[in-house]
This record gives sequence, structure tokens and C-alpha cells, in this order.
Amino acid sequence: MPSEITLSSFFESISFLASRMASTFNTVAEQMPTIIVGVADFKISTEPCTYLATHALGSCLGVTFHDSKRRIGGMLHAMLPSASLHEGQKIREAMFLDTGIPRLLTALVRAGAKKSDIRCKVFGGAQLMATDNFFRIGSKNIDMFYRISHEMELDVVSWEVSGRVNRTIRLNNQTGDVIVKIPSKPEFIR
Amino acid sequence: MKSAADLQTVVEMTRSIPCAPAILPKLLKLAEGSSSDLGEMEMLINLDTGLATDVLRTANSAYFASNQRCENISDAILRLGSKVLYRIAASTLTGRWLVHPVRGYGWETGDLCRHSLCVAICAETFAAKMQLADSATAYTAGLIHDLGKFALAYANFTALDDITNRVPDEFATWREAEKVILGFESTQVTKALLENWGFPSTFVSVGQFYQTPSECPDSERKIATLIHAAKHVATQIGYGVGVDGFYYEPDEDALKEVGFKDDEMDAAIPEILATIQRFISPSGEIRFT
Repeated sequence: MPSEITLSSFFESISFLASRMASTFNTVAEQMPTIIVGVADFKISTEPCTYLATHALGSCLGVTFHDSKRRIGGMLHAMLPSASLHEGQKIREAMFLDTGIPRLLTALVRAGAKKSDIRCKVFGGAQLMATDNFFRIGSKNIDMFYRISHEMELDVVSWEVSGRVNRTIRLNNQTGDVIVKIPSKPEFIR
Repeated sequence: MKSAADLQTVVEMTRSIPCAPAILPKLLKLAEGSSSDLGEMEMLINLDTGLATDVLRTANSAYFASNQRCENISDAILRLGSKVLYRIAASTLTGRWLVHPVRGYGWETGDLCRHSLCVAICAETFAAKMQLADSATAYTAGLIHDLGKFALAYANFTALDDITNRVPDEFATWREAEKVILGFESTQVTKALLENWGFPSTFVSVGQFYQTPSECPDSERKIATLIHAAKHVATQIGYGVGVDGFYYEPDEDALKEVGFKDDEMDAAIPEILATIQRFISPSGEIRFT
């Protein structure tokens, strides 16, 4: 004889199931491998169950791209705004925003992402105390990113820049969420 | 520790931390001296098994190795030269001290070590480019510039949390908050520690004045300004920067007086970063040798 299902027991079951699913999802998320992106470097991932992470942005910019339909993501950790200061020298393209961003976008499209489906988020650009003449990399980087994002018509959906904080970021390639860690503060998602 | 105790208490507490870089001044003196000092240097290095191992590993690394293996410190000294040897010793000894897990400044384990290493490399680079100081001296000054903060964190001051919570709403800079909440500045702790360990006056002045080089006596203002500039560039690069990092005021007058220029500092960053990345992996692991 089938047991009687009351409305409250039904909701209890649903809530139990939901909590199990959530904890399973959390466990899966916790176990996802992390690809580390160094300073002046970029990485892409076509594997949905991965994180892309970079530590301690300081005044650098961390730029993430994510195609949520195809679960293809990329991250750039650029230190300086423009390679133009280093004309004629051998440069690392990912060191600079004006060379690193086009390079990362090209790599993503080659890996199968579609430009119109790519969403961009930008982090970092921390600034030292106000000074007119020194240590302005943070603001120069933000200005350059603003310019490039307009020129390249990037779909920038999140800006977590400026301020006086050192940010560490982690892109969940499954969801496109970016987890931000700041010293002495709890993590938050952008 | 409940609140701000006096400066001396912090210094006393720090005495109990193992591996303090107290033999550095002696090594620096030997590295600057004649070849007859090499025997003494060998003896000093042999007293510390970890350091001796690092020196031998470096001498036999792909970068320095020749057909013949270095079997002892004496061979390693000849192969590496006293300057390289000193650099290894300084990094190993200071690094070992600075990687103790401590609470404060929002640091993860090893953060102060990563940041100090970056300051040291920035200082060494600018010293060479601008002829401001001997590169080994600049490197060491960068490594030890913030020992006082490490001591404060080691002493486990709850007052550090108070500073974190009140900057920037009540205090514009970290220094201001330290003065009011602790009753002294971390630079005073650095000064006291370095004096206790017998460091030369140059380093004591750097520890005391690197945040405010304009206040440094003329004779040591250049190197204090060099570390001031190196500190801010390293902060922008980001490695190991804690919650306090961006709350220090640049001393524009001192920077201009010594001849620093913003564009030139930015232009040096690719070279600085290449050096840093020889010692710090993308995941933050530190490899001194």
C-alpha cells in the first residue's frame, strides 16, 4: 500500500533533495582543478569543470572572458597598459593590455568560442594614494581597458576595479562566475 | 596580546623566533671584504645546514654547473663568487624567517616573504640603473625593510585588527592609524630589531625612514628613497601585498630629489618581473635558489 504523501512531507523531500544537490554541486565545484595564470600571462580552458585563477592583481588588471553557451573561458593578467613604451624590444604580449586582450580573444575564438557570446569581466587596477606624478599604473590600466573595450566592442558585464585592495580572482568555467578574494575580507562573486 | 603593548615587548617577543637573519650583517661584511675572508664565510655557512645545502644546490644547478660537481662549500664559493653567495644567503635566511605563519595584515603564509623579495629585486634593479647604491646593499635593504610588521604580526596584536577595521574610515593612512592605535609605528619596531642584531646604520635608517625618506638624514636619504620607490612599485605588482599595502603615501619630494621618473620606473617593470618570476612561481611558491 503506497504511503500517504502529505503536502508538508512533499516539501520536506524537495528541500532535502535540493540541499543534497547543492552539497553535491559544492563538492564538485570544490574538486574542480584550477589552472593558474601568472603575471603577464593568459590561459584559456575548454573544459567546463575547471577554474582559471590568478593571484594578487595589485595595480594589474585581470580580464576574464567567458562564452557561457560553449563553456569556454579565458583569463589575462596584464601588468601594464601599452607595449608602445617598449617598441623595438622583444615583448611578452600578455604583459600589456593593448597586446594581451586581442591575443586572448583570438585564442578563445580559435578554441571554438563565438565573439558575440563572450562576456567580459575586469578586476584589479588598485591605486596608491593620490599623487599626480608617481605610481599611477592602476589608473593608466583602467583608462586603457576602457579604451580597448570600446574599440573592440567588448561586452563588459562586470567592473571590479580601482580602490586600494589587492584582489585574487577565480573564474568558474562552468558558470562564468568570478570569485574575488581580498585580504581580510570574505570572498564574493561577480 | 590584548592591545598595544610597548615597543620593547614586541622586540622581546620576536627574539624567540627561530632563524632570525642575525648573521646577515656579518655575511655582508665578509662578502664586501677580501678573498682572505672566504674561509670565514665558509665556516659561517657550514654552521647552518639548510643554508649550506642551498648554496651547494645552486652551485650545481644548470645555471652555474660546469663539468665538475661542487662537493663542498669552499668549491661553491669559488664557483659562485662572494656576491652571488651573499645573495643566496640573504634570501635564504630572511625568507626562512618571513615564512612563519602569522596572523595580521590579511597575509597568507609567505606573503611578506614574497613582497619583500619583490621589493629587494626592484631595489636592486633601480640601484643599478640609477647608480644609487651598491646592488647587494639595496637587495638586502629591500628584504629587511618591513621586519617590524612581521614582528607585530608575530606578537599577535589584536590591535592590528582594529587598524584594519578603522582604515580608511577613520584614518587616511596606515601610519596614522598605527600612531594612534598602537602608540608607535612599525618602522620603529624594524629599527629596534635591526639595531639589536647589529645591522649597519644604513639598514637601520632604511627600516626607520623608508616610508618617509624626506625625514631621513642626508647621508642615507638616497637609499631610503630607493627602498621607498621599490616598495611602491612592488606594491603595484601585487605579490604578497596585504590589507595595508595601498594605504601609504608616496613621498614625491624625496622621489624627485633623487631623480625618479614615473615613466622610467614603469619601463623597468618588464625586466623586474622577469627576475621576480625566476624566484616566485605563478602559484606563489618561492624558490630562492
